[in-house]
Amino acid sequence: MEYLLSKNVEYVCECGLLKPLTNLYFCRHCLNLRCFFCCHHEVDSHFCRNCLENIPSGEAKLRKNKCNTCFDCPSCTLSALSARATTIQVPMTKEVKEGGEGSEIEASSGKMVSKKMYYLACLACRFSSRDVGISDQPSQNFFWPEQEYMHAIRFNTILNHYYSVVLHDKQLKQEERRRRSTKQSKFPNMTDRTGLNVSAIRRQMGFDKSAAKPKSKPTAIAPSIAEDVDDLPEEIFTQPINLKNITTIQQRFTQPANQPESVKHLYPQHKNLSIKRSIRCRHCEHNVIKPEYNPTSIKYRIQQFASSHVPEVRIIKCDQLVPNKSALITLKITNPTMNDMIITIMDLPTEEEEKMMIEEMRKNFEKNLSVSNKSSLMRPSLIEDSRIVSCKITAKLELPDSSFVINQRDDSAEFDDDVQSDKKDPKFILWRKANKIAIQLSITPNGELKVNDDVKIGFSMNFTYSSVPSSTPEKKETQRYALCARIYINAGKIVQ
Amino acid sequence: MSKLENKIKVMPKAVVCEDSTIKGDVTICSGSVIHPSAQIIAESGPIIIGENCIIEEYAKIIHRIPPDHKLAQEKNHVLVIGANNLFEVGSTVEALKIGEKNIFECKSYVSSNVTISSGCVIGAGCHVVGEQHLPENTVIFGKNCQQREALDKVSGSHMLQLDFLRKVLPNYHHLRKPCDIKKAANLS
Repeated sequence: MEYLLSKNVEYVCECGLLKPLTNLYFCRHCLNLRCFFCCHHEVDSHFCRNCLENIPSGEAKLRKNKCNTCFDCPSCTLSALSARATTIQVPMTKEVKEGGEGSEIEASSGKMVSKKMYYLACLACRFSSRDVGISDQPSQNFFWPEQEYMHAIRFNTILNHYYSVVLHDKQLKQEERRRRSTKQSKFPNMTDRTGLNVSAIRRQMGFDKSAAKPKSKPTAIAPSIAEDVDDLPEEIFTQPINLKNITTIQQRFTQPANQPESVKHLYPQHKNLSIKRSIRCRHCEHNVIKPEYNPTSIKYRIQQFASSHVPEVRIIKCDQLVPNKSALITLKITNPTMNDMIITIMDLPTEEEEKMMIEEMRKNFEKNLSVSNKSSLMRPSLIEDSRIVSCKITAKLELPDSSFVINQRDDSAEFDDDVQSDKKDPKFILWRKANKIAIQLSITPNGELKVNDDVKIGFSMNFTYSSVPSSTPEKKETQRYALCARIYINAGKIVQ
Repeated sequence: MSKLENKIKVMPKAVVCEDSTIKGDVTICSGSVIHPSAQIIAESGPIIIGENCIIEEYAKIIHRIPPDHKLAQEKNHVLVIGANNLFEVGSTVEALKIGEKNIFECKSYVSSNVTISSGCVIGAGCHVVGEQHLPENTVIFGKNCQQREALDKVSGSHMLQLDFLRKVLPNYHHLRKPCDIKKAANLS
């Protein structure tokens, strides 16, 4: 995991944040990197991750975003409770209900029937529903007794009150608008003068209900009055406490309505629902990530991860870093696409250039917005300005003197024997294997660095990107673009 | 350290695989099941394992009193392990007193400073160190070794599993022969 998610090499997202490549997306339509923070997030569907039931969003709201059938362990708060079966011996009661006195004798004669009963248990901390006094249930899918909250009624009245306040406000506002709109009408209206407008006709015909409807008034609530709180009992200072009986903060937070103090009141909690989320580019409003709806599927319908479009840079090794002394760093660059790539490594833009880039981007976006606004029904997205990269370079990188080609990805290539290419590679290329290439560059850490300071290098990587042919007719052919990614590398620490 | 003399007594009806490592004076009461490659090491004194215990693969039971322990001066300390204990795969138990019906889950560790009563569960991967006594029905779980007390009796016995193991293990493993009690009595 450390290898996959290493933070030594970071790419600059379009919004100016530094992210490892695995955390970035690539918008095929804007041809830019996008990160978690500069995209729209949309909830696609709700589901329970325990029973994998898909729950429509309306119903999820009704159920307070909780699953009806699954429970979380209130004690260890990390695993789901599972239903366990026990068999108990019960006297035959069926006949007692049906028959008269005769069968009652039979029941008392000791005829026992085994019956399956279920209780909930946690496999991690061995919490069971019997611990808190919930009796066993005859069916696995039986609705377990719901916990009652002390303030539930009060909470409901307050909720209803505020609903009615909102309704009242809305009506007032509507009335106001109606009154104002008749006055502010610019154009004379003939029907108004003749008294034959729609509402008048409706009133004459007796259809008008709005007049008959009384104005809704907010339901009154009794304001809560602060009660006198008793002093703490003496024992609390003198008696030793048993920590096993007191709930932890974590346990209390999982039951916000009750916040029990004693473990005797830790009731099983309904499991929170999870969501499937799609991620949308803010600039062109195309999806970069769209999962499949089915909760059991972990596949995507659209997945534009940057790691499958942008060449990946990794550190293979780095010499010992000493200030003002050049050291060699070996990088591996991988081409994840199905087309050959020409890569040029260049200096990072200066601060002025960066500002100009940001300015240009904003202008571009505003222009696009004014064009697209006419056609699209979607609300224009709010775009935050990109920021200037916060990372400061602390070493000088000697750039390679020429650009180079990385072969396309070929899944069958790993079965081939190593074929030495006839082409003469420049000196800085150590080796190439299928779609990978290793380059060696020399870096010189700045003089003012102290021991254990991070040595940061950075470069812009220009690469050619061939778009995947899409189904739309005007983009049938692959097009080649020259794209640029800015990369910051943490080469290591200064040693002395 | 003097070389340990192996004095292993296996009571009838106990299933002890020959591939297990048993060193020192160890008595295994009837009905217990000891898997292959389990380790029982009686260094500082005899170990007596009670009835119907299961000791699974790579579980270690060590009777070794560290020199700075308060029991270090006592001679002939006997580690008595009660009945119906379950030592799961990879657990290491150095406790010097163990009651009944305890469960030591996978990869758990109990140091020699701890005494364990009955009905306790040491959760998977939990390390219990530091001088303490675990009262009855204590459950230790989670990565922070959180403790709670099971109000209910911790899930039933492992009798079904014992029966199954007693049937299956002899089919695939060589067993240590139980000693003849009468013979042993005559000798002494």
